[in-house]
Amino acid sequence: MRRRQQGILTGMPFMANIAPRTFVDDLDRKLYLAKPPKRIVSLAPSITEMLFAIGLDEEIVGVTDFCNYPPAALAKPKVAYSQPNLESLIVLEPQLVLAPPSFLRADLLAKLEQLKIPTFVLESKTVEGIFGHIQLLGRMVGRAPEANAYTAEMRKNVTALTKRVEGRPRPTLLYVLNSEPLITVGPGSFIHHLIELAGGRNAAERANAPYPRLTMEEVLTQNPDILLFPVGEYEGIPQTEQDRWKRWDTLRAVQNGKLFQINSDVLNRPGPRVIEGLRHLVKILHPDVDLEDSVQKPSP
Amino acid sequence: MKPILDAPSQRSPSSAFSLERAIVRLPVSNAVPASRQTLTRSRWWLWVGAACVVTLLVFVVCLGFGTQTISYSTIIAVIMGATTGPSMELGSSDPTSVILLQVRMPRVVLAFFVGGSLAMVGVALQALLRNPLADPFVIGISSGAALGAAIALLFGLGISVGSLSALPVCAFAGALLSLIIMYRISSAQYGFSVYTLLLAGVVLNAIFSAFIMFLTSIADPNQAFGMYAWLMGTLTGPDWPTLGILVLYLGAGLVILGIHAQSLNLLTLGEETARSLGVEVERVKKMVFLSAALLTGAVVSFSGIIGFVGLIIPHAVRLVVSADHRLLLPVAGLVGGMFLMLADTVARTALSPSEFPVGVITALVGGPIFLWLLTTRQTQLGMK
Repeated sequence: MRRRQQGILTGMPFMANIAPRTFVDDLDRKLYLAKPPKRIVSLAPSITEMLFAIGLDEEIVGVTDFCNYPPAALAKPKVAYSQPNLESLIVLEPQLVLAPPSFLRADLLAKLEQLKIPTFVLESKTVEGIFGHIQLLGRMVGRAPEANAYTAEMRKNVTALTKRVEGRPRPTLLYVLNSEPLITVGPGSFIHHLIELAGGRNAAERANAPYPRLTMEEVLTQNPDILLFPVGEYEGIPQTEQDRWKRWDTLRAVQNGKLFQINSDVLNRPGPRVIEGLRHLVKILHPDVDLEDSVQKPSP
Repeated sequence: MKPILDAPSQRSPSSAFSLERAIVRLPVSNAVPASRQTLTRSRWWLWVGAACVVTLLVFVVCLGFGTQTISYSTIIAVIMGATTGPSMELGSSDPTSVILLQVRMPRVVLAFFVGGSLAMVGVALQALLRNPLADPFVIGISSGAALGAAIALLFGLGISVGSLSALPVCAFAGALLSLIIMYRISSAQYGFSVYTLLLAGVVLNAIFSAFIMFLTSIADPNQAFGMYAWLMGTLTGPDWPTLGILVLYLGAGLVILGIHAQSLNLLTLGEETARSLGVEVERVKKMVFLSAALLTGAVVSFSGIIGFVGLIIPHAVRLVVSADHRLLLPVAGLVGGMFLMLADTVARTALSPSEFPVGVITALVGGPIFLWLLTTRQTQLGMK
């Protein structure tokens, strides 16, 4: 394991004792936590969901404006999102701030370090990454057994899902993030990973960016079987815009009426509800697969 | 739209002479032989005809490029099939014809109209404000239109771009607001210099950008993402009816500009001179401002902010062809359309199958030219 090696490599024997409480985040920053933090602020909905999943209802003292799941998260104090309000953050006296790298500004990170507020950056890019992060969080907060049990359950469910779609033909799916101009998900994005995991083929798999602006010509050439529109409390695509897609009547998706909506929260958030997202994707991609007996929904 | 041409023989020799002399002394018209030549009917037809032919060529060339490789023989066959077929309703079975007729061609046509309108608005503003660096983007009219459109988008008036929704109306209102502000500033003081106008434009841009930034920061992330992408100047392939509506808006604006071409000529001499030469200055100014706002609003509501087309194209055309607005307007329109068709072809093919905003290219081409004009050609531009 990485942290053990660091302790040994630096040639400081006493590090061996400290090392188990030292954690390395996704920006390769080391964080030492003497004891499990009792006041945690989450700066991402996915992290909030992970924390609740391993039973940290009490320890969470602050969440973002977008943390709407589980319902208990709505009652927690808010610290904005892409530009967290530093004062509202400090007043919560956090012993640990968990942040995603994508919206975390460098100056905020520096300020938090200067204020000696332990900050840990994490971002899951794959389902495996989510498991790793839940287990890591479990170790950090002293709930390793719960976290390990939870991820084992999740892993079982993911395996059950992927087994069901194994060897089946892979329908092409276009995920419409924005219609005018067309923005979708490409290789390197979490949703692309989920589409492939759920036994689908991403219509933008030839694109060269995680969130490419795809040309309409490429869409017509790839001829997706399914159009998927994210909808949700905070994000979504209006009905009129979806209807405008119906003018592309050479698309198999339009001909067969395969325009679907999905709760964007379960796909956008690399968190415990990814199982739900995967299930939904499998249902859309492979409607004939029977899922009822294969998966129990993990209790949050 | 066809300008009213006075054949030289119909004019009294003295007035023709003084007019030509006066035009040469304009700050806008560069001291280039082309602008000194008398505009004759045959010269008008020669230039406009040539520009039309080249535009048509560029159009066909641009049709040949895209994510999908389609050979020119196929293109011709598909177009022939569509025009001579039983109906203009396009055969929905063949993906090649769909790509060509419903994706690529509407987009190239849109690029032509957007580029042409921007260039003609540039010409009109340069004449009206008597400022060679006026451009809907530089002096903040595009930002005003964008703010109007962003407000419309935020309040859920639909990204159904350009259909008879509130979007173009809001963009028009925004463009008109910034034009009125700009006009008030420009008439507020005597001896209003080129630089004051540019500075006012910069500030106006900053104010409108601040409002837009505020709107995107309160919008939800996904909506803000789409709004950003659109603001950067984006051409999409609209369906033909939508394109028809745009052409309707633009046509109205362009006809008004065309009618006032000769008045614009006289206005570049100064308002007093124009008035003494029989131009109803206030009415002309109002009409041209209205049509500039209409054109900018319609263009921005379709394609976001595409900068510098209205600046570089009029200058190039003025240098090469003529400073007479009766010829300058149509030729600048055609060349502007050509330029944007080419720029958009690069934007949609360079990163295939992804694309990037065409505003990037126009800014990369136009920005340096703007700086060059600003630094090296001050005397010719009448800035000193």
